[in-house]
Amino acid sequence: MNTVPRIERLASVLVDYSTEVQPGQLVLIESSPLAAPLVLAVARRVIEAGAHPQTRLAVDGLTETLLAHGTDAQLQWVNPARVEDYERADVRMVFEAEFNTRTLSSIDPERLALAGRAREQLRDRYLERAAAGELRWVITLFPTYSAAQDAEMSLAQYEEFVYGAGRLDEDDPVGEWRRFGDGLTRLAEWLDAKSEVRVVSDGTDLTVGVEGRTWIPCGGKENFPDGEVFTGPVETSLEGEIHFSFPASFQGRMVEDIRLRFEGGEVVEAHAARGQDFLDAMLAMDDGARRAGEFAFGMNEAIQEFTRSTLFDEKIGGTVHLALGKAYPESGGQNRSALHWDLVCDLRSGSEVFVDGELVYRDGRFLPGIY
Amino acid sequence: MTDPRIERLGDLVVNYSLELSEGQVVRIDGLEIAAPLALATYRAALAVGAHPYTNLSIDGLLELLLESGSEEQLAYISPVHVSEMETIDALVTIWSEANTRSLTRVDPGKHSRYIAAHRPLSNRRWERIASGEMRWCGTLHPTFAHAQDADMSLEEYESFVFAACHTDVENPAAHWSEVAQGLGARAEELGSVRELRIVGPDTDLRLGVEGRTWLAADGKFNMPDGEVFTSPRERETEGEIRYTFPAIFQGREVEDIRLRFEEGRVVLAEAVRGQDYLRSLLDMDDGARVLGEVAFGLNYEIDRFTRNILFDEKIGGTMHLALGAAFAQAGGENSSGLHWDMICDLREEGEVYADGELVWKAGEFLSEPVVHA
Repeated sequence: MNTVPRIERLASVLVDYSTEVQPGQLVLIESSPLAAPLVLAVARRVIEAGAHPQTRLAVDGLTETLLAHGTDAQLQWVNPARVEDYERADVRMVFEAEFNTRTLSSIDPERLALAGRAREQLRDRYLERAAAGELRWVITLFPTYSAAQDAEMSLAQYEEFVYGAGRLDEDDPVGEWRRFGDGLTRLAEWLDAKSEVRVVSDGTDLTVGVEGRTWIPCGGKENFPDGEVFTGPVETSLEGEIHFSFPASFQGRMVEDIRLRFEGGEVVEAHAARGQDFLDAMLAMDDGARRAGEFAFGMNEAIQEFTRSTLFDEKIGGTVHLALGKAYPESGGQNRSALHWDLVCDLRSGSEVFVDGELVYRDGRFLPGIY
Repeated sequence: MTDPRIERLGDLVVNYSLELSEGQVVRIDGLEIAAPLALATYRAALAVGAHPYTNLSIDGLLELLLESGSEEQLAYISPVHVSEMETIDALVTIWSEANTRSLTRVDPGKHSRYIAAHRPLSNRRWERIASGEMRWCGTLHPTFAHAQDADMSLEEYESFVFAACHTDVENPAAHWSEVAQGLGARAEELGSVRELRIVGPDTDLRLGVEGRTWLAADGKFNMPDGEVFTSPRERETEGEIRYTFPAIFQGREVEDIRLRFEEGRVVLAEAVRGQDYLRSLLDMDDGARVLGEVAFGLNYEIDRFTRNILFDEKIGGTMHLALGAAFAQAGGENSSGLHWDMICDLREEGEVYADGELVWKAGEFLSEPVVHA
């Protein structure tokens, strides 16, 4: 039995494995005071590694105040200190720890989009530096009441879920993640040689072109917990329909039962049982918001439940997800947008996936021999 | 609904202390425990069209660095912080602690080296403040830790803090504008004095202040505020003083300090508790035995000692004298790594003579200053 407190195990996985912090590096830690135990544990590990932790902690109410009361100029203001953060940091860590996941629910989506577009350059810059190997980043979640509530669990149950998904109860979590990552790497290499993925399920028959694109294995480096392989699909290739049976959450909004129809890579029809206005506003954010920037297989079998947190939901073993908007440059995807909205499609029953015409995946699992 | 006293304090700091205007960038520093005031300040700054952002920390991070950091890590200054100090137009420091003794057991040597290494950053800050490129205000959000130090319940302490800031009533800015006028007149009047003599229990001290400028602390740099101060002439302090309030430096208390000055320097120093610490601070450097500040505390809403210098040095009816660094803008020349405010309670029996004339008795000036419109 591993007797090191789980929070310390998580800290050492994040510092030693996910981001491989080196002496002298500037390590940016973004979170809220609710994650204080993790912030302190990670700061300690960063100091032990000879590096320099720097925190940016936000309390509930700041973003809401800005979005509710700010002028357009204030909404669009990009803090030069944040620009400098992303220029200078060697490592960026984000610990999601919300006081209330619905704090922005009543904000006008147009204003959310305005603020989102203004800050696009910040995200682009750190992803650019990440793609160039100048910056490592990782996003994780610290279990809070708000996240447990969204998952419809007690906090104690939710902690079990979170740390279980991170394999932090194992004797050697890092070893587990390395082995898991190796398997995902082999799967990604196999997919790299393919041209087309077709997903068929209830309400879904979607063809995604992936020729020439790179599949990225996600074994706990940039997200933690992790477990997916993704690529940036060919921008004009998506054809057909997809039905997302899970609610899609974005910036504290829930949009339920989304159905999208693609033609020539572009969303031409979008319906939601609830949240249609928000869905429409997000699709109208900019030119790239109607195209897919990411297509991925969720591969973490320790995540089986939908918990209304994208970090976990998109990795549910037996799902695929498709993100509208921004592509990750390292996948070869070129789509640009201020949006990156992951929508998760459950394939665990009554589904088939064909790759270059060959059946490779059924009811949430790759067929034996493939993975 | 947020406590209106906190809303008013945020508004006062933004509009009266910092006089923030549209387009200016203001950073709000503090621990997350000060979140209500940080938010109120943020809201007030947004309302004037400024660009506020918070720089909040949690208790334990600094302790961790001081405890576990290497010398290189202690001395590290983030390039991001350097750049922020060059670009922000205003800074609000909320001094609220979760535990005022978090650092009491930290190695004092490491703490000093950390402070010394970060001096370029704080020097740059003072430089930009002095040249008028940047505004700064330090204030406090009431917490359990500060209430405990003040021997009060949180509710009592909140009443104390907000009364001292005058945010327990509508339009505190009007009050502070009036205070500023009175303090300005008092400072001007004191500007013509050559020698001050402070007389009280076990106290008879003469200070030369000729040619020095008296400054009014009227709520621009601190909130609450309320003092007039200058830097005395470096070689002219003579006599004895006894401080009945404990003197606190970096969280450590020294009780019942008695000092004797000759030709401006401390030649005898005794304390009932903390004598070793007192002597080690006096030996910090050459300027540590010389006064860098003399001041009258004139905020009569602050009527008791609460172990927090932001309030204690302004207690109406007290004087404070700081050993160490002087204020250049007052004409002071003493330089030191130390600036230690010690407070002398003159409310019972104190008398102050200006060039031989009795001007202050039992904690009050005997006449109103003449206000020049």
